[in-house]
Amino acid sequence: MQAITSLTGPFPRSEALVAATRDLDRGRTTPEAVEEAYATTEAEVTRVEERLGLDPRTGGYLRWQDLFRPFAETWEGFTVGPLTRWFETNQFFRQPILHAPPERVAGAILPWLPEARSACAGRRGKAILPGPYTFAGLVDNRSGETAEALTHRLGRLLAEELRELRSHGFTTFQFQEPLLVVRPPERSRAESVVAAYKSIAAAAEGATVAVWTFFADAQPAWPTLWRLPVGIVGVDLAETDLLALPPSTERRGLGLGVIDPRTSLVEDPAEVVQLTRAIAERHRPTTVWVGAGAPLDLLPWEPATRKLHVLPAVREGLRAEAARR
Amino acid sequence: MTDPPLFPAQEIGSLMKPRWQLLGQRGQPLDDAARAEFSAWNDRLHFVPPDDPMVRKFLGERSREVNAETVRDWAALCLIRYLESAGLARVYDGEARRVEMYEYPIRQMRGFQFLGHVRSFDNKYYLKASITGEIRLDRPYHTEEFEFVRDHARATVKLPITGPYTLADWSYNEYYLRRQTGWKGPGTRRRAQRDFVVELARRAIRPTLAALIERGCRVIQVDEPAAGTHPQEAELVAEGFNAATEGLDAEFSMHICFSDYRSLFPALLEAKRCTQWAWEFANRDSEGHDGYEVLKLFREYGDHRQVGLGVVDVHRDEVESPERVKERLLRATRILGDPRRIWVNPDCGLRTRSLDVAYQKLTNMVRGAALARAELDGRAAA
Repeated sequence: MQAITSLTGPFPRSEALVAATRDLDRGRTTPEAVEEAYATTEAEVTRVEERLGLDPRTGGYLRWQDLFRPFAETWEGFTVGPLTRWFETNQFFRQPILHAPPERVAGAILPWLPEARSACAGRRGKAILPGPYTFAGLVDNRSGETAEALTHRLGRLLAEELRELRSHGFTTFQFQEPLLVVRPPERSRAESVVAAYKSIAAAAEGATVAVWTFFADAQPAWPTLWRLPVGIVGVDLAETDLLALPPSTERRGLGLGVIDPRTSLVEDPAEVVQLTRAIAERHRPTTVWVGAGAPLDLLPWEPATRKLHVLPAVREGLRAEAARR
Repeated sequence: MTDPPLFPAQEIGSLMKPRWQLLGQRGQPLDDAARAEFSAWNDRLHFVPPDDPMVRKFLGERSREVNAETVRDWAALCLIRYLESAGLARVYDGEARRVEMYEYPIRQMRGFQFLGHVRSFDNKYYLKASITGEIRLDRPYHTEEFEFVRDHARATVKLPITGPYTLADWSYNEYYLRRQTGWKGPGTRRRAQRDFVVELARRAIRPTLAALIERGCRVIQVDEPAAGTHPQEAELVAEGFNAATEGLDAEFSMHICFSDYRSLFPALLEAKRCTQWAWEFANRDSEGHDGYEVLKLFREYGDHRQVGLGVVDVHRDEVESPERVKERLLRATRILGDPRRIWVNPDCGLRTRSLDVAYQKLTNMVRGAALARAELDGRAAA
């Protein structure tokens, strides 16, 4: 079985970048020096991705203060709101406040994507974007639109975004949807999620679209997840026991979040290979994507990098096992 | 005997360290900005005699001859006077001696290993450790700083200490997780976390609290900003609090911020020795959204303990007007019923604001409390 390994969210900032951004806030350095620290660290993340064979590449999303900030700061209809806890973590995001139905601003998101800036732009870059359900569910919606209408609208706007990013060489689009499993949608909300992803799928023809869920057991959301017209559904294996779920009836790519960034304990590659094999036998996915179950920026740089080494080991383990069979 | 004035003010956490403190403690020469900052605050607060030879040395060309301990003591004195001068009834030293609320206590214990910085939000980070062995307290901490504040403060001293649940939640849990067998799923992680929190409470926090109380500490704020992180663990927050305070006699409050408070009810109310809930509210209070509505939960669950009401947002420079503070206090009073239950405080520590901005926020907070008091007194008189 061939496994694709890739980063599935923002990577931690290096200690040098931590120091630089901190110093900037304290007036001890210049924006130019911080820009240099960002560029250096992005290049370092890309080197880690290359060295470990992680492809498609992401560049680490180091400049994103949170999943929504580039949108809240650039798209129309939003302002940046209060600090709000990011699910069950000690991280916070500034909740976007939506004052009117949102409008996309062409070209506004591209500069935020590290791969768009990197020397290898145009190669297989992965864009990691907020999923429409999580986005709609976590904004402070004062726009007058219902949650359903907003989810659908964000799906259409993200589809436009995807079209633009495709024209800049991005081939893989991963939508972060923790809320889909933390607060699974029901009835009309679920329909609006499916409709949103239909818009995205229509724009994505020929590209790979993944929905990545994390921070909760995917089981309650499983029926909805399998209705989404996407190539890959990712689950956080620290929260979800996929072997306890009924075998999938439809063949689809499966994303396995095998690295748990909530613990600094490094996963055992042999155990991960065994688990991946068992899951694959049960659910018979078309492809397997292996990565972190939740964003790795819950860890410091060094342990995150250390834990990432499990990915090539798993890739090789699966390849060797397949060769033996 | 008359009742104490309504809406007494208190500090809630750390303050930004003055530039002169940072340079002085590092043994670096003061620059003009640091000198000006020192002199401006000393003119206002009189925390050290300006003609003291050491002070002259510090502000002159020989600042490096003043040792780090002296600089640190001056900073503590400065911030004690700063809080007193702002009109607070309960003060501390702005945590002038601490690195921050997590790293400092962890460094007083064995069994932890620091792994690096993790982002909390924007460009704010904390150094995160992993528990890799048995917890052992080197010696009770915060005792010397408490004694210093006790000996110098004119207002009542309130000591903040990070609670066991937060220390555990902000650490990686290798040691206790390794002791669990099988899939490290949510149930296993929770069991390991319970062991971690309770051991921390018993082996490190309780002995520290006992040592502080022995030295005369009467008012202690247990900081549990992580309390709302995992709603299903609210019971564990209370269990950790109870284990840490078991058999101890002092006035304990619990500070929580940036959490969904609804998820903590009613389990948190089992923290029996807690006499005041000091929480953040202003951050969530905006046009069209009542940040204080959540206080109804206390009424709903019949909890009549004091509330330390966050009326000042600590993450924005915009200074709340006294009228805004008054309005928030009166709104909270309408919900809680009894104004005597309310203390007024910032949402959290003001360490991310400059000392100038923080001071304006604190003084406006105190003025706002006076306005609210006058309005209620006026109503009572009428």
